[in-house]
Amino acid sequence: MNPLKTRLQQQAQHEVRQNTTQTPEARQFATAEELLRFDAAQTEVPPGVAERLQETIRQEPKPEPSWWQRWFQK
Amino acid sequence: MAATLVQELVEREPEQARAAGRLDSPRLAALYEEHSRAIYYLALRLLGDPTQAEDATHDVFVRAYRHLSEFKGLSNIRTWLYRIAINHCRNLSNTWAHRHIHSGVDEAVWATLPDRGDDPLRVIEIKELGTRIQRALESLSDEYRLLLLLVADAELSYEEVGELTTQSADAVRGKLHRARKAFAIQFNKTA
Repeated sequence: MNPLKTRLQQQAQHEVRQNTTQTPEARQFATAEELLRFDAAQTEVPPGVAERLQETIRQEPKPEPSWWQRWFQK
Repeated sequence: MAATLVQELVEREPEQARAAGRLDSPRLAALYEEHSRAIYYLALRLLGDPTQAEDATHDVFVRAYRHLSEFKGLSNIRTWLYRIAINHCRNLSNTWAHRHIHSGVDEAVWATLPDRGDDPLRVIEIKELGTRIQRALESLSDEYRLLLLLVADAELSYEEVGELTTQSADAVRGKLHRARKAFAIQFNKTA
């Protein structure tokens, strides 16, 4: 386990807890990263992206079977 | 949605796909579930447009799907996805003549500014937060903008941010201070 990552994750969780308990009108962020982290947490991926991805993948050409698969199909 | 995606992918003959090294279907769905928000947010703030960010997120995951077999597992998969996203956003920015105009203030000038940039960032109107953040980011150099966005991801270490921005972790730490200061000054101007 990377101690730096663990620390950053704990810090992020702490910030989220702190921010969600404050009123929405006024919040303070010590650094730009905290602010961006908060902003990212508020940002949802539009559901249309997953739908489009699913559709694109459906249209992808199927991979060629390997030689041994073709041999067994004979 | 992720569950539907899993089902859809599993139905596409996963054994064959796996044999060809092109698709590990539940893995792609899991990737999307775990990383799509981070990729979308990065694209949104790099491109500054929700529609373009949607397109970019879609394209990043399609590319990841096609090249999943090339991922050797030597780095964090999030780093790999970020690398695809950063390159893709750069290409889009160039294609769309979407280049942002830098503030024209170089690092030496930032360094001479009073230290109020380190003051806490006070946000009054959460509603307008996204717009303010976008304006502040757009006034920074590409390097600072990307650095801040990557460091803001708690899942990335400074070493990984350094990998993505082709510099050492120490260089990341060094520039981060100036990037924070520059951002704070620009953000406070948007109030």
